[in-house]
Amino acid sequence: MKKLSGRMTALIVVVAIVFIGIIWGVRTNNRMITAEEGVSAAWAQVENVYQRRMDLIPNLVSTVKGAADFEKGTLEAVIDARAKATSVQVDANTLSEANIAAFQKAQDGLSSALSRLMVTVERYPELKATDNFRDLQVQLEGTENRITTERNKFNEVVKSYNTMIRKFPNSMIANMGGFEKKGYFTAKEGAENAPEVNFEF
Amino acid sequence: MMKKIALFLFSAVLYVGLFAQLPAKTNTLVNDYAGLFTGQQRANLEHRLVAFADTTSNQILVITTPSLEGYDISEYAIRIGEEWGVGQAEYDNGLVIVIKPKNDTPGRVFIATGYGLEGALPDAVCREIVDIDMIPHFINNDYYGGVMAALDVIMPVAVGEYSYQEVRGDEGGFLALAIVVIVIVVFVILAFSGNGSGNSNIGGRGGGGIDPLTAIWIGSMMSRNHGGSFGNFSGGSGGFGGFGGFGGGSFGGGGAGGSW
Repeated sequence: MKKLSGRMTALIVVVAIVFIGIIWGVRTNNRMITAEEGVSAAWAQVENVYQRRMDLIPNLVSTVKGAADFEKGTLEAVIDARAKATSVQVDANTLSEANIAAFQKAQDGLSSALSRLMVTVERYPELKATDNFRDLQVQLEGTENRITTERNKFNEVVKSYNTMIRKFPNSMIANMGGFEKKGYFTAKEGAENAPEVNFEF
Repeated sequence: MMKKIALFLFSAVLYVGLFAQLPAKTNTLVNDYAGLFTGQQRANLEHRLVAFADTTSNQILVITTPSLEGYDISEYAIRIGEEWGVGQAEYDNGLVIVIKPKNDTPGRVFIATGYGLEGALPDAVCREIVDIDMIPHFINNDYYGGVMAALDVIMPVAVGEYSYQEVRGDEGGFLALAIVVIVIVVFVILAFSGNGSGNSNIGGRGGGGIDPLTAIWIGSMMSRNHGGSFGNFSGGSGGFGGFGGFGGGSFGGGGAGGSW
C-alpha cells in the first residue's frame, strides 16, 4: 500500500510537471505570437510611410519638370530609383535580415537620388518660390521624419521580439514554433538624415 | 587600485557623455531649460496649457533647450513626445513644441503632432504657424509672444472648433459667410413666393411655406456656427489645478519646424 502510494505520488508529480510545462509552453508560444504580430504591425507602418514617399514623387517630378531646362539626368535618377524601390517589397512574414537589408538598400538609393534632386533645385530660385513646390517640400520633409520615426519604432519592437525568442528557455519554444529572428534597419551612410531637404527660407 | 578606480570613473563619465539623454520626464507642460520665459510668463503659459488639457484632453508640451544633444530637432521633439507620452493614449492627441534659441548655432523650432492631430494640423499648417506666428517674435527674443500667438491658432484648430482657414480669416471664412447669405436669400424668396401664390404649388396644402421671420431665424441659427471670433482658453480662475500627468500618446513623425 505504501509502495503504491509512493509510485502514485511520483506519477502525480511527473504529470503535474508535464502539465505545467505544457501550460508554460502554450503561454510562451502565445506571447511570441503577440510579439510577432507587433513586429508585423510596425512593419506595416514602415511600409506605409515609405509608400507615402513613393506617392509624392510623381507630383514632385512633374512640378520640377515644369521648370525650364531642368537637369534631365537628376530627374531620371529619381524615377529609376523609385522604380527599383517599388520592385523590392518585403512581406511581413519574411522579415529576415537579408530581406530588410535589400529593402533598405533600395529605399536608401531613392533617398540619395531625392537628395541630389533637392540639391539641384537650389539652382532654380523661381521654382523654389512656387507654392506648389514649397508644399511638396514640406510634405517630403514630413515624410522623411515619419520614415525615421517608424523605422526607430520598428527596430525597438524587433529588438524586444528577438530578445524574447532567443532567450533560454523561450528559445526551445521558438524553435518548435518556427519563430525566426527578424532583421533591423541599420543607420549608416547617412541614411537616417538623408535626404537633406531642410531648406531655410 | 587607484588606477582602477580612476579608470572606472573615467569610463563612467565617458558613458554619460556618449549617451547624452533627452531630458527626463517631468510633470509640467512648460519645461524652460533654456530660460526663455520670466517666472510670470512661465506660470501663465503653464496655466493656459493645463486649462486646455483639462477641458479638451489635448496635451501641449513646450520645451526650450539650449542644445539639441546632437539630435535633429524633429527627432528630438518626436522622441520626447513618444517617451513622455504626451496626449491621451486612445486619441494620440499630443503636441510638442521644442524651441532652441539662437546661440552659437541658429535658432530652431519644431512643432511635433501626435498621430491623432496630424489631420487637424497637417505639416504644411505647422510650417505656416512656425513661419507666421513664431519666428517673427523669436527674432526679437519675444519667445513668450511667439508661443502664445502660435497657441492662439493651434488650440481652436486642434479641437476642431475652427478650421485653420477660419482661424486665419482666409477665403474659407468668406465662403462660409457667402453660403449663409445665399441660404437666407433662398429662404426669403421661397417664403415670399409661397405667400404670393397661395396654395398653388410651392407652399403645399398648408399654404404659406416659410414666413420671412422663420427664414431669418433659421438663417441666424445657421450663421451661428460660422463667423465670430474665439476667446482664448486662459479663463478659469480659482486654484491652480496642476497638471494631471501625461496620458501615453504616440507620435508618428508629423509636424514641421523652421529656423532663424
